[in-house]
Amino acid sequence: MTTRLARARQFGTVIGLLVLSGVLWALSPHFLTVANLLNIAQQTTINAVVAVGMTYVILSGGIDLSVGSIVALSGVALGAALQSGQALPVALVVAIGVGVACGLVNGAIVSWGRLPPFIVTLGMMSIARGMALLFTEGRPVSGFDEGFRSLATGRVGFIPVPVIITGVVYVIAHVVLTKTTFGRYVYAIGGNEEATRLSGVSIDFHKTMIYAVSGLMSAVAAIMLTARLNSAQPIAGMMYELDAIAATVIGGTSLMGGEGSLGGTLVGALIMGVLRNGLNLLGVSSFLQQIVIGAVIIGAVLVDTWLKPRAGRG
Amino acid sequence: MRRAEWRTSVAIVVLAFAVAGLSCNRAAPAADDKPTVALVLKTLNHPFFVDMRRGAQEAADRLGVNLQVQAAEREVDVEKQMQIVENLIQTGIKALAITPSGSREIVTALVKAKAANIPILIVDTRLDAKAAADAGVQTEAYIGSDNYAGGRLAGDHAVKVTGGKARAAILEGIPGHETGDSRLRGFRDAVKDTPGIAIVSSQPANWERDQGFNVFQNMLQAHPDIDLVFAASDLMALGAIEAIAAAGKTGKIRVIGFDALDDAKKAIAAGTMEASVAQFPSEMGRLAVEGAVKVIRGEKLPADIMVKLEMVTKDSVKQ
Repeated sequence: MTTRLARARQFGTVIGLLVLSGVLWALSPHFLTVANLLNIAQQTTINAVVAVGMTYVILSGGIDLSVGSIVALSGVALGAALQSGQALPVALVVAIGVGVACGLVNGAIVSWGRLPPFIVTLGMMSIARGMALLFTEGRPVSGFDEGFRSLATGRVGFIPVPVIITGVVYVIAHVVLTKTTFGRYVYAIGGNEEATRLSGVSIDFHKTMIYAVSGLMSAVAAIMLTARLNSAQPIAGMMYELDAIAATVIGGTSLMGGEGSLGGTLVGALIMGVLRNGLNLLGVSSFLQQIVIGAVIIGAVLVDTWLKPRAGRG
Repeated sequence: MRRAEWRTSVAIVVLAFAVAGLSCNRAAPAADDKPTVALVLKTLNHPFFVDMRRGAQEAADRLGVNLQVQAAEREVDVEKQMQIVENLIQTGIKALAITPSGSREIVTALVKAKAANIPILIVDTRLDAKAAADAGVQTEAYIGSDNYAGGRLAGDHAVKVTGGKARAAILEGIPGHETGDSRLRGFRDAVKDTPGIAIVSSQPANWERDQGFNVFQNMLQAHPDIDLVFAASDLMALGAIEAIAAAGKTGKIRVIGFDALDDAKKAIAAGTMEASVAQFPSEMGRLAVEGAVKVIRGEKLPADIMVKLEMVTKDSVKQ
């Protein structure tokens, strides 16, 4: 029943994306061009990757408000490593290490400290941001070599590298979520934590890992963002948590946990990317854009709740 | 189940049409053959950029070109600004005028504009010269005020009104911003030969009014003898003025700001603020559009088009 419901929800989201695209195609001659679609794909990548971690966390019934700050902290760690002359693989490991470490701290405090995720990640949001600012004295670290920058500017065939990275991330994350015991526990913890605990699953360990996944995804996003800007900014990633939560809920993942899928999240991120791009092409003011995006978020969740009590009968 | 799918689809379709309907009303006219000039601002929630847009729009109306003004939601969001530039390139704009949110970061997006043969005019905040040169980005012109000269103007004024004796505090903008850094350098250079002026504290308040309040309140706590404040922008200065009032020290501390916003002019007239360096953002907007139109016609522009600066004091506000 849950999977059928999820499928129906996802189907609706895909229709929404197609209709939105159709409307934009009718309104703007510049929308449906290869160059523009590639722009949208590239512009969606960072939010899409952060939203993978957010989906894991929300599926488990939690929330992670610290993703944007972790993007900044792991970005400046990456930038500093590159500038100090470290080889690219070493710098990437540093960035990922920082992201995962922040996630592990989040998860450990949520699990063993028995604190609400909202509080813990709110604290981490401030701590990671402060560390990024302190470490760089508030100044961006910039100017990297071509090899690193190709992570953002390079293309394989005609597909931008970030789009490929994002694709690989989604495939792996989807397989882990649907085909492994860890993935099943993510749903189980979100669906009924007490029942899962009673069935002998180590909730504390798995929850910690879930937040580590979120930290890892923030680090991957940080790598792509730093390459794109050719600069690691300690003020980068502000409000990324809200974009990631939006993509996740538009994609049909329930904030209560236990229900949702990464396919939905990807479509959710694309809806936001298409919407922003289309509103830019149409020359809609940035103030109105915020209203439209807010309306879409509320609308999508409204559909979600509207659907739920009736689905069983259909 | 079919019923549920149907409902979801209908709801999302309706929502999408509502969105499209909203957009339709605001869509730029595309059917005429007037060239479109894009003006990309840092943000539109700051009076400085609102004035700039006004000046640009008046020039565009006068010259018969379409003007597309876009901005990120937040001033520091250079990634969003890059997206806007990438998206505008797709719409066939004939010239791009931009106030970079990041002097280095935005270069990547400008490379794409250059590849699409769109001439670029830089407004207000300069590009990082090295980053631009490394990427091979050439711009048609820089249009803005000399922030360093503005800082000096403020410093000279401070020396004059204090008689060369002061305990000074500085409220900085976001670190690493060329605009703020130049203003601070100008101010420091102007006061450094006056031994009676000691800079006791200098901290960033990130261009914001509420941070200006908090940071200055803390400074005043640590250094109760501060009697001069230079803020790299008026919003921070106005925050400091509130903090001064809260401490009951109104009139005892001279505040010099930058931008001469309407609120700052009111404060200067009321005597709670000493002075502010006036920039003329609407002039920048006008010159940006006029410059863009010249470039479209194939004319060359001077590399730097400077917009005047003026010290606004109690005397000049009354005029």
